[in-house]
Amino acid sequence: MKDRERGVLRAGIASGYVAALGLVVATNGIAWAAGPRLAGANLAMLFLAPVLVSAVGFGLGPALLAAFAAAVSFNFLFIEPRFTFWIGHPADLLTFSMFFAVAMATGWLAGRERDQAQMARRHAATVGTLLAASRALAAATTPDEVAQALADQLMSVGAGAAVVVLPSAAGPRIAGGPAGLDRLGPAAAEAARDVLEAGRATDDTATGYRFQALDGAGGRVAAIGLRASTPRTDTAAEALVSGLLRQGAVALERAELAAATVENQALRRADDLRSALLNSISHDFRTPLSTVLGSVTTLQDYGDQLKPAVRRDLLDSIREEAQRLNRYVGDLLDMARLEAGALTPKREWADVREIVASALARIGDRMGSRRVVRDFAIDLSRVKLDRTLLEQAILNVLENAVAYGQDGTRIEVAAYEDAGQVMIAIEDEGPGIGADAVKVIFDRFRRLERASDRGEGLGLGLSIAKGFIEAMGGRIAATSPVADGRGTRFLISLPKSIHTPKGLL
Amino acid sequence: MTTHRPRILVIDDEPQIHRFLTPALEAAGYEPIRADSGEAGLRELARRAPDAVVLDLGLPDMDGKDALERARRFYEGPVLILSARHLEKEKIDAFDLGADDYVEKPFSVGELLARLRAVLRRGPHVEAAPQTVVAGDLEIDLAMRIVRRSGTLVRLSPKEFELLRGLVAAGGRVVTHRQLLTAVWGPAHAQDVQYLRVFVGQLRQKLEADPAAPRHFVTEPGVGYRFLAG
Repeated sequence: MKDRERGVLRAGIASGYVAALGLVVATNGIAWAAGPRLAGANLAMLFLAPVLVSAVGFGLGPALLAAFAAAVSFNFLFIEPRFTFWIGHPADLLTFSMFFAVAMATGWLAGRERDQAQMARRHAATVGTLLAASRALAAATTPDEVAQALADQLMSVGAGAAVVVLPSAAGPRIAGGPAGLDRLGPAAAEAARDVLEAGRATDDTATGYRFQALDGAGGRVAAIGLRASTPRTDTAAEALVSGLLRQGAVALERAELAAATVENQALRRADDLRSALLNSISHDFRTPLSTVLGSVTTLQDYGDQLKPAVRRDLLDSIREEAQRLNRYVGDLLDMARLEAGALTPKREWADVREIVASALARIGDRMGSRRVVRDFAIDLSRVKLDRTLLEQAILNVLENAVAYGQDGTRIEVAAYEDAGQVMIAIEDEGPGIGADAVKVIFDRFRRLERASDRGEGLGLGLSIAKGFIEAMGGRIAATSPVADGRGTRFLISLPKSIHTPKGLL
Repeated sequence: MTTHRPRILVIDDEPQIHRFLTPALEAAGYEPIRADSGEAGLRELARRAPDAVVLDLGLPDMDGKDALERARRFYEGPVLILSARHLEKEKIDAFDLGADDYVEKPFSVGELLARLRAVLRRGPHVEAAPQTVVAGDLEIDLAMRIVRRSGTLVRLSPKEFELLRGLVAAGGRVVTHRQLLTAVWGPAHAQDVQYLRVFVGQLRQKLEADPAAPRHFVTEPGVGYRFLAG
């Protein structure tokens, strides 16, 4: 309630009494004018009118005043002997007594009825306000939003300017309050800190605010400051404010729990990644390291007794395992870059076919006796992309195809345009993955438990490929099995930014 | 080489390991037998009766511990485990199942061959332990319950003696915490490793020249203890 409304209300109550008296005076006038035509019981009926009107119109107090005034003036002006409060006739005494009793009774009944109806309306208004407040508080998700919603609700019920101060690592800060208020005066800030830390309610007009602690089930959640100049309101309004504060405390606690949950989830994800990385390093790095250490010590201890072919083979093995370790380290670094969000593609116009060819060249000997079938469209748009990222992504997909497609099988690599996109398809003839496993194929450290695959990579390659392709605005998807329950196809689509005329290709 | 080249069965699914272990074993005077899976390993074990087995605990087709348990049903020769450091639990289980020693990956060939020579020297797993042992300045008579250090009688409490017997009877093999605790204090105390720390400490005080740098009662971290004669 605003101050002005309350003033109107107070004036309304006073004017109710004045109006009741006015009605009685008017009734006296009418009765006087009617003269001797009205007498006895009829006159008494006329005098009941202002009582009833006052009761319905102004409530219990004015009705009782009207009843009293009507009885007194009725007696004074119309009951013989007139102009005295003396009642001469016994019959008149009865009439007057009856009138007085009826006037008081009807006035009391009608007035009370009206007051109760009014109280019910005010109750309904309070409940409505609390309901609206709870909706506003429920809609807020972060602690700051809740604090602002609470301050808005407090101000809208006429509690004056309200600030909500939340504790933070950097000290108390205003999380909700009147628009434009972002800092408290030093005295008010000190009072807010006092309330947050010690729970001491303050009533210090010097600070401009009356601070009180807001406690939830799990402890102090905020300090609430209400404008100290705001006069203490009536009990109903006070109850409304305390209802709002209770709701606010619950909402703030909920928002803080939600915020903590989000933070915990992020921490847990980071933790999962860390433990997966450690696990990977301890498991996947150990075999190549064992091979290198074992082969080197074999050469050191027994080099003279070994045939030249065996020595060469051990040296080959050392080189291969060192290269494998180098690839693992590269994968981990790529993954760390993706995780840190430090990936900024350097885009330049490029021919996708050149990049596919360069990735195929890099995989080199590891293709073994697998047959690579190239199917490149003659007319292919250039795409603006990061060559290094795309080449690494394609290489990772090719390595996956090599790991799962046995020697002697085909690996088909195609590049073409489709629906405004440049597409790269890589398909192997391996045993396939299956519809369920294909859904998680791009997850980190996901690797099929299969004998042929043991030791062949960290299970990071495909998730790195996905990260790199998506960093360039492209997409990658996998389908498996492709045909006859075998084979896996990876489809990379890159948005085509511009079409290059045929003549330039 | 003579016909007495000891046959060593290597059970490991990593081809790269065989790639250097086969020539290394040959060069060191052994006859290596290669098996790439647990099943193949058990088959070769039954058919070729090797003098020792090198077993990788991480096998694709069966748990390395299962392979060891099945092997121990018919094979009494020494088994050397290859394992990774982070699989400590597996290592302990392997000793409980009758492994003779272990080498952590990555390992040097020299270390593996030294352990192999040691387990081959100790002989079959179930051979009856000798009743008297001489180790440096220690003389231990297990049957008579007499221990002398530099000729002087050393008094041991019954528990200390049982612990000593458990370690000495293993003939240089690692004895796990659980094996020692069960043998000396009973199965109810199989987890009370702190008993062992106290009593091994007492044995070292009484029997080692320098208890802080033990030569006979050697700790195998996280696994157990072993008694070394040298």
